Amino acid sequence: MTWKANRLALRQGSLFPLFASTIAGVVIMTPILVVMWRSFTSGKLGFTVGLHFDNYLRVFFDKDIWPMLSNSVIYAGGSALLGTGVGGLLAWIVARTNTPGKALVELMPLYPLLMPPIMKNIAWILLLAPKSGILNGMLDQFLGISHPVFNAFTMWGMIWTFGIACVPLGYLFLLPVFLSFDPSLEESAYIAGSRPVHTMLHITFPLAIPAFISAFVLNFLRALRSFETPVLQGTPGNIKVFVSRVYDSMALEFNTGLATSYSVVLVILSVITLYFYVRATRFSERYATITGKGYRVRVIDIGPWKYLTFAAVCLYFLVGIAIPFVVLIVVSIIPYFDYETFMTFPAHMGLNNYRTVLRHSSFINGLRNSVLLSVVIAMVTVLAAIVMAFTIHRTRAVGTKIFEFIGTLPLAFPPLVLSVGLVIIFIGTPLYNSLWALGLGLFVAYFPYAFRNASGAMVNIHKELDEAAWVHGAKWRHVFFKVTLPILKPAVGGALFYIFIEAIRNVDVAVLLTAPGLEYGPVTLFEYFRVGQWAEAAAGGVIYLIILIVAVSVAKFAFKMKFSL
Amino acid sequence: MAILKVEGVTKLYKDLKALDNVSFEFDKGILSFLGPSGCGKTTLLRSIAGLEIPDAGSISIADKVQTSIEGGVLIPPYSREIGFVFQNYALWPHMTVFKNVAFSLNLRKFPTDVIKRRVLACLDLVGLGGREERYPSQLSGGQQQRVALARSIVLEPQLILLDEPLSNLDAKLREEMRVELKKLIKKVGISALYVTHDQEEAFVISDKVIVMNGGQILQYDAPDELYSHPSDPFVASFIGHSTLVDGNIVKAVGGECVVQIPQFDDATLICAVPRNGATSGPCSVVIKNGDLRLSHEKFSADAINVLEGTMVSRDYRGGLTDHRVQIGTKEVVVTSHRLCPMINVDGEGGKVFLCIDKSAISLIPQANAA
Repeated sequence: MTWKANRLALRQGSLFPLFASTIAGVVIMTPILVVMWRSFTSGKLGFTVGLHFDNYLRVFFDKDIWPMLSNSVIYAGGSALLGTGVGGLLAWIVARTNTPGKALVELMPLYPLLMPPIMKNIAWILLLAPKSGILNGMLDQFLGISHPVFNAFTMWGMIWTFGIACVPLGYLFLLPVFLSFDPSLEESAYIAGSRPVHTMLHITFPLAIPAFISAFVLNFLRALRSFETPVLQGTPGNIKVFVSRVYDSMALEFNTGLATSYSVVLVILSVITLYFYVRATRFSERYATITGKGYRVRVIDIGPWKYLTFAAVCLYFLVGIAIPFVVLIVVSIIPYFDYETFMTFPAHMGLNNYRTVLRHSSFINGLRNSVLLSVVIAMVTVLAAIVMAFTIHRTRAVGTKIFEFIGTLPLAFPPLVLSVGLVIIFIGTPLYNSLWALGLGLFVAYFPYAFRNASGAMVNIHKELDEAAWVHGAKWRHVFFKVTLPILKPAVGGALFYIFIEAIRNVDVAVLLTAPGLEYGPVTLFEYFRVGQWAEAAAGGVIYLIILIVAVSVAKFAFKMKFSL
Repeated sequence: MAILKVEGVTKLYKDLKALDNVSFEFDKGILSFLGPSGCGKTTLLRSIAGLEIPDAGSISIADKVQTSIEGGVLIPPYSREIGFVFQNYALWPHMTVFKNVAFSLNLRKFPTDVIKRRVLACLDLVGLGGREERYPSQLSGGQQQRVALARSIVLEPQLILLDEPLSNLDAKLREEMRVELKKLIKKVGISALYVTHDQEEAFVISDKVIVMNGGQILQYDAPDELYSHPSDPFVASFIGHSTLVDGNIVKAVGGECVVQIPQFDDATLICAVPRNGATSGPCSVVIKNGDLRLSHEKFSADAINVLEGTMVSRDYRGGLTDHRVQIGTKEVVVTSHRLCPMINVDGEGGKVFLCIDKSAISLIPQANAA
């Protein structure tokens, strides 16, 4: 458009959405820019000493940089491979085979919503710890192997714990591929003379590769950003990755320059991964096997093999869901954790840990803050995301594409890095150690999810629906509140709930922004665990578990919500 | 009073000219924008509604300036007081039929009883009385179409805009609806702009038709004029039902001329001179399929424009039959009605004579041909 036409267009109902989106954009960009800028400065906070590259020199000449890089890549790659592989296999079993007991897996997408990530780490540390670990104890007691076989504080332990946590995403990415597969693709292979196994290997699985790659890259990114596993399992075993190094620089050395420099390296890794994710998604669009018609996918009779797949399903259910649950619950009702007490738990059962935890003001404060803040943040984030998506897709202001970039940008910034930025911004102001800083951190960290969700939903809703309101007399606020918002409601409900669940159990944004008197949710559990109060940590975890189960059940049954991610 | 006046409207998409200096005026009735996809007809319609902002030019509805890029005027779509029927109907899925139709009245704060009366009257008019509490998804495609129409006329605007409103219906329903649509619009007594790529639909529905291509208006005429006197070879070929060949005017005497056609082995035809009065030079010759006669025997000696050809095929299509006749290097289609079969051809390859009436031919001087 010419600038004259442009200026005329801007006056028509674009100004308010544009203004609101700009505010949201500034809020998002501030911690990001602060991290970038601080990485070029040195000294303690408040004593800025010019612009230079000292931190980077220290980072790149750190003799640990290469081990750290390879640790990060091995940890992320290993857990992504494990999680996506198992998830894909389960998806295929559920979608295409006559394996009995598939229902055990079908519930799986709910599971990651229930269990706060930190609880998974705690459960697996209890199971796999070299000295006190339950499994090593069992090997000693029943098989006489006194040398510890399992060790949670190794690379294998880290990959195991996070890999299991990656399974649901792999499953969710690959299930639609197997479910909505156009049967004629396989049928034409049969006609050409290919037997079922041959067809599976040469047609079905190759067509699932793009979705597999997408899920793998996304899991890789999640592992790269993950906080709990590197800090709880990596650090004790002296396996350093970037996230734990950033945390140590901030929490132990309080060296913001160094922390931000490590952050920038981490961000660069994330950006490279995101780039591959975008490429992989494009690749899978070219491979689209879904034609939009509702197919009834054929379930293949795999004969006696179904017992093997059944065993696989049961094994996953035990390892991925049942055992960690049981361990946590048992540990929460015994007075203190060691192998002996654990194995004879019926004799020591009691609710003492719960009483202790509920008497701690830090736990109660944390619980109250996280419930309160999650509700508020979920609503604010989703509303801001919808306004931003509206600005991009439904107003005529030019240059709104920049919001597409800003809204997605925090994805490249691990939540810990964002909170490093917020610490730097707020320190010395009254907002430091306040719920405001925490709320801002959660807002920025979860904005991209709400934004992608709102943007995707809005693109799917035909623009004509808005235009029809427009020509028939609706101004922008009428269009927004009477047409756009009501139609978006189902999609928005999902995002609201997802952000609530994620925020209530958040550790990595909050960990740097909490202080005595300002506790936040599971960060308290993190602290319990670090000082060795394992039983209290388990009891607190079970309380969060109950809250999440109630929330998910209400959403599922009262609001008939469907969960996809 | 012109209900619509468009002057010099230009719209660019990057380097592509979606609309290229389009100007016309329209009094009242139903006007169609006809052309192939990408010709600019929908962009023109949306510019009139204010949904697209042109890069230059001005648009007035009922003598009131709505868009004037040069004059810095741009009335937003919600203040233009028009109706619009979208291609996919664009019914709001979360509102009942009643609420969909009442939307524009509600926004303008009409009293509740007035809204109710007008919406129900409107739904009765389109034949959907009693279905006001349904949701759009509970209606068939044809019914959704009617709701969209009701929604666009409930405010009783002076002008409604329809963007290929029938293209999502199946062929049979489409033929019924276009007649009904025309009756309805005439009954309500408003003017309408109608976008379509289907020439038959445009002819049935409209008083005037604008044929567009490449963002430009090629011809603006009544339907019968378009058919009998296309002013551009593209118009002739787009409207169809005719054979198009190149010719050369060799002689002209008193309103009639002789045109030589290389593709017919240099045979000559006699017909009226082109409308611009050209008496020589190259031209396009449009021969209407329906106004020809075909025979095994020679026509009488005083018959003019008789050509000899070979039968290629006979394609029966219901009430009509297309006879394909090879004349020179060109295949000419002759369409006959079932009740007056012109010939009985034994098979393909037979020799036939074709008589072309003078009125079946119209000439388009090459200068006009882009």
